[in-house]
Amino acid sequence: MKRFKTTKGLIGIFLLTIIALVAILGPMILPPDAATKMDMLARRSPPNWNHLLGTDQLGRDMLARVILGARTSLEIAVSAVLMSIVLGLPLGLVSGYSGGWNDNVLMRLVDTLLAFPALLLALTISAVLGPNVQNTIIAIGVAFTPYLARIIRGEALKVAQMPYVEAARASGTTDGMIMLRHVLPNILPAVIVQATISLAFAILAEAGLSFLGLGTQPPAASWGLMIQASRDQLDVAPWTALVPGAAVALTVLGLNMFGDVLRDILDPKSK
Amino acid sequence: MTYVVNRLLSVILTLFLITLVTFAVTNILPGDVAMMIMGTQSNEAALEGLRQSLGLNDPLIVQYGRWIGGLLTGDLGNSLIFKKPIAELLVQKAVASAIIVVMSMTIALALAVPLGVWAAVHRDKWQDTVSSSASLMGVSLPDFFWGIVMILVFARWLVWFPSSGIVEPSEDFLGALRYAFLPSLALGLGLMAHLTRMTRSTMTGILGQEFICVARAKGLTERTVIWRYALGNAIGPVITIAGLQIGYLFGSIIVMESLFGYTGMGWLTYQALLNRDLPLIQATVVVIAAVVMITNLLVDLLYVLIDPRVKLG
Repeated sequence: MKRFKTTKGLIGIFLLTIIALVAILGPMILPPDAATKMDMLARRSPPNWNHLLGTDQLGRDMLARVILGARTSLEIAVSAVLMSIVLGLPLGLVSGYSGGWNDNVLMRLVDTLLAFPALLLALTISAVLGPNVQNTIIAIGVAFTPYLARIIRGEALKVAQMPYVEAARASGTTDGMIMLRHVLPNILPAVIVQATISLAFAILAEAGLSFLGLGTQPPAASWGLMIQASRDQLDVAPWTALVPGAAVALTVLGLNMFGDVLRDILDPKSK
Repeated sequence: MTYVVNRLLSVILTLFLITLVTFAVTNILPGDVAMMIMGTQSNEAALEGLRQSLGLNDPLIVQYGRWIGGLLTGDLGNSLIFKKPIAELLVQKAVASAIIVVMSMTIALALAVPLGVWAAVHRDKWQDTVSSSASLMGVSLPDFFWGIVMILVFARWLVWFPSSGIVEPSEDFLGALRYAFLPSLALGLGLMAHLTRMTRSTMTGILGQEFICVARAKGLTERTVIWRYALGNAIGPVITIAGLQIGYLFGSIIVMESLFGYTGMGWLTYQALLNRDLPLIQATVVVIAAVVMITNLLVDLLYVLIDPRVKLG
């Protein structure tokens, strides 16, 4: 199992590196119209030498689209998770460290938000704001905030009871300083682990939102949009679903593998 | 008894907060409801007329009061797209979705528990690797992707199940189950992955404890030790996680019901969101959040029944 874990971590890092490189370098290398150019004579053509992963219903190259989709999907996922950290970190930190009424009120609010399925909350926000890339980020970011706040609060609560925090308090350090200097660095490992896992969920959420037409809008390329477009042509062109599906799966798999190993390293207690 | 009363009070408070959050999200965020309904191209006079008739010019607190009053008396207003009372729509769709929720949870548990136990018993062997890899794979694919695969395999190639549609359970119960099966299976597979991981880790912890050693030393069969002693202790946490997954499930049915053209609550929510039918959005969102919260409460209470060590009070 130990070897399995190391292998798992390596596979995870390998997958993530490849995908990050593709997402960053791909759009630079590809000609600007690679993902939108329609080859009307080669519509729904299966993978071949001209189109390595085949073409979609408009004769657009699947490889180019899946590469550009990587950028969209990753950009949205990373921004959304960063947003949920920016919102959830202060919430959880203050709640867990100060306890008492602050904690009660803040956690009641967080618990209420947790009753809304994350996807439902994201869909509703996106529908109300109007679906586009920026609002998709906001929708997913807000929807993920309560989960992050809850976990950070739990960690902060543990750290707040440590002798070194007590010592800092006894020596007259202000609460703000203690949170920043002593509590924050000690909960960071947990935040990083959670961020990795959230990133996996954010990729899935973006795909779900776009699949339902309430995320990224056409003609932009996003994995969820590509799967949606494939729905009506499954029998004749299954690769149009399998290619973006595999892209989502490999990315999320990479993040999950990496997250599992990261947790074992950064947070050995949870084993 | 104090525990139950406290929980009930907190349920009422949370329900109140749920309505507040729903109202806030759908009202305070930028965006003009009248324009959402009529489109950006409509003329100002018509928009103003609609705002007036929907009471959108009243202060927010008045609008909220009116809405809450309606909720409490069961009058949720009319859906703008279906032109029907929302309460009627909800009751009708809730049954269809209940079938999917129960069916997918049953499928998930029926597969996840044995698989997790199998992995834990053969810890660090190939069986464990297979089970862990399979569940890792399962959590890594969006469930609508499973849905597409199900349609392809079971509806198009094998033609065992219909690829879309719904049958009213009151008309033909078995038919209703047939239509609910594929979406439930797709949802169940996604859920299964999470539950397998949970079962494995809980079982692994318990199998390492002393009372398991004692049970084996007493000469009990391996079957009794694993399925009665160990699983009996592991099932509590697994049920808790399953309960927490209900929230996830209610998010996923929106995607899955839309994919399968299965007209339940998820599909209704999606139609409301897509067409910006504000009264219907508010109603479905509140109802789903309330159902999720109440299910979690019931699971907590169920836990007490399953695990005698947890006492109320």
